[in-house]
Amino acid sequence: MSFADSLMAGLEIVGNIQSFLALFAGVAIGTVAGAIPGMSATMAVALTLPFTFSMTPITGILLLLGVYKGGIFGGSIPAILIKTPGTPASSATVLDGYPMAQQGRAGKALGMALWASCTADLISNLSLILFAGWLASFALSFGPPEFFTLILFSLTIIAGVSGDSLLRGALSAVAGLLLATVGLDLIYGTNRFTFGSPNMMGGLNFIAVLIGLFAIPEIIGMVWNPQVSADETRSLGKNWVTFAEYKKCFRSIVRGSFIGVFLGSIPGIGAAPSAFLSYSEARRKSPNKENFGKGEIEGVAASEAGNNGVAGATLIPLLALGVPGDVITAIILGAFMVHGLQPGPMMFIMNTNIIYGLFIGLIVSSVFLFLIGSVAIRGFKYVADIPRGVLFPGVMVLCIFGVFAVNNNIFDVGVMFAMGWLGFFMMRFRIPTAPFLIAFILGPLLEDNFRQAMLMSGSSPVILFRGPITWFFWSITLVTVIAIVRAGIRATTKETPPLPPTNQE
Amino acid sequence: MKLKLMGAAGALIASLTATAAFAEYPDRPINMVIPYGPGGATDISARSIAAPLGKAVGQPLIMTNITGAGGATGSVAVQNAKPDGYTMLFARVGSHSVNPAMKATLPYTLDDFRFVTVYEINPVACAVAPSSGIKTMDELIAKVKKGGVSYSSSGVGSLLHIAAVMVLNEFGVENPLQAATHIPQKGGGAAATAVLNGTATFICTNSSALASFVANGQLVPLMVTTPEPVKGFDAPTAAELGKPALEQLVGWTGIAGPKGLPDEVAKKWGAWMKTATDDKTFRSTMESRGSVIKLMSPEDANAFIKAQYKTFRALVDKLGMRIEG
Repeated sequence: MSFADSLMAGLEIVGNIQSFLALFAGVAIGTVAGAIPGMSATMAVALTLPFTFSMTPITGILLLLGVYKGGIFGGSIPAILIKTPGTPASSATVLDGYPMAQQGRAGKALGMALWASCTADLISNLSLILFAGWLASFALSFGPPEFFTLILFSLTIIAGVSGDSLLRGALSAVAGLLLATVGLDLIYGTNRFTFGSPNMMGGLNFIAVLIGLFAIPEIIGMVWNPQVSADETRSLGKNWVTFAEYKKCFRSIVRGSFIGVFLGSIPGIGAAPSAFLSYSEARRKSPNKENFGKGEIEGVAASEAGNNGVAGATLIPLLALGVPGDVITAIILGAFMVHGLQPGPMMFIMNTNIIYGLFIGLIVSSVFLFLIGSVAIRGFKYVADIPRGVLFPGVMVLCIFGVFAVNNNIFDVGVMFAMGWLGFFMMRFRIPTAPFLIAFILGPLLEDNFRQAMLMSGSSPVILFRGPITWFFWSITLVTVIAIVRAGIRATTKETPPLPPTNQE
Repeated sequence: MKLKLMGAAGALIASLTATAAFAEYPDRPINMVIPYGPGGATDISARSIAAPLGKAVGQPLIMTNITGAGGATGSVAVQNAKPDGYTMLFARVGSHSVNPAMKATLPYTLDDFRFVTVYEINPVACAVAPSSGIKTMDELIAKVKKGGVSYSSSGVGSLLHIAAVMVLNEFGVENPLQAATHIPQKGGGAAATAVLNGTATFICTNSSALASFVANGQLVPLMVTTPEPVKGFDAPTAAELGKPALEQLVGWTGIAGPKGLPDEVAKKWGAWMKTATDDKTFRSTMESRGSVIKLMSPEDANAFIKAQYKTFRALVDKLGMRIEG
């Protein structure tokens, strides 16, 4: 069958009003669900799943994909407006999005988030359609040793998000690594730092840590010092993002999208590391590096491109190999199976119409995302106009509700508050929280893959250098570390001469 | 308005003072705890039965995922609940027979629960990657004896973990813990991927988790553990290979309450489950995922789980696999 025939066959099954309605509804549901803190994209997809059982396969799967894509974008809205990432994937967006909102540029940040998300989504979908086979075989060559070197490289991000002091950043990262060890040991199944409490056996809930670290310190800070900012509103103004700004960030968006596509096609990494990696690369390449973390629009663009670039690419291992890369694609795999479809190489031969139908639906979903996203931003942006004295108690309620809802466990709410105090003191002592979070996400991956690699080789470290992929990551890690050290030395020598008095008012 | 209010107040007082003798169970919504995350096998199974079950019960069922520690966190929540039938648990093979058999530090035992049913059985299949060149169980065992074979699982204390060990043990491998290397992964999807990309040699897991790989020729099935062959799996059953003991090795999903659940509550659940599992949509949803719907009465369910637990416990004790730390 030629490409045109396949395309027509696909169009035949999606070319009806139900499919597009389902997709549209999915994106809308996802955007709203993603915007509610604690209601992650995963949960939204899982809750939508039962409704798809009675639909035709393609309609049901398009609905789920819509929810997924909407959810990943929706998470950026509260991340920018109230410093509470709606989904873990948008935690990197907080770094520059929230400072922008504080400066009264929330509309710009949200607009850029949307444009970056849609661009990345489109690039990701096109990569799926054009390179699925190639990327899938690439993904399968990722075993524990390759993973280990990739994560090791990703840890160099910490230097990029540490702000002024690498030492403070490293301290934060060490704390994150330490807390990530709580729970069951993967290899032996023994308890680590659980203190006999069944609640601790599952480890600290990621969303509770995330919200606790970002949103709660703001609230504590406000309670601590109520007069300063209670009535302050952050005027939104007419600050919609301009095309010139989009053009300026375009390189970062494309780079972020491809980082997303690569990491998304490898099962088991997910959107959050990809967003952080894209962010740190954008920062490294940017001429106004200093402004990152203080409200740089390119930072928002890069993070959102990084996490939305993953969305289409996670379907690569799912469709081409039948391997679910994360929990969301595992649920979508379930939907395929309920309808008697088995994703994998055979599906490209047996069910060409469904594959191409999905491709068409995916492309259309980028357009829907843009439409619904624009509407959602217009609705949500008024949040920025609410006086902080009114807004913050509401945020507090939302955080408690959200964290409880993840697991229906009151212990998680306690974890959130404990992390909130930790975050508050980190803020006071100017210790950045982002390295904590990155270490908390990547630490367990690093450890697990290292130990799996050691099991494979019978404890011989040679396996960590077993092929070109590992060599590649070893060498770029080395190059990055040298660059960081050199930049550090240069910074210390620069600081020695005293500042000219004109700089102090 | 006033009348309505008085009626409501009266009903409230009635419900507060009512004794078990004349309060018709259930008179309010029932909390159903799913101890695993959204989208997993237990979650899908639970949510599929929720619709027909809710109709049979006549009260809303509130489905809550309480995840963590291989099902332990959610199980503890039900263990500590009042045994009044308003907090029930979707129990699973991992949380209620493998984990209790393997983990000494688990905060609960089987005796802390009363099972009202087991309604779903998942056949277990063992598979390898085609590139390994292994086509039968005998070839796999021969290779294990030579050394360098590994197997993946979704974590320590999972069904996949004990399944691989039990299969090796039944096929006469001496000291299976040393003969083959266990490479735990995070979750069932990752475990299957590990075999696909050559990280591990073989995997024994629910046939539904392997179905698409087998259909696509990415994995070669070696054996299934049910008495009957499994559709789509061109592999002998355990009994055909002369190992009927492996028929104990199946996954299941059931419903349990805390210990001390009254007899009449258990009896009611038995009747409800009969109605619910006869539902056509439920059956076709589950069967298309490769599950076998097999309803057990409260007594049968308890006996079935106890027997499986004893088998696993004996194996764990024999090989010294129990985790004490």
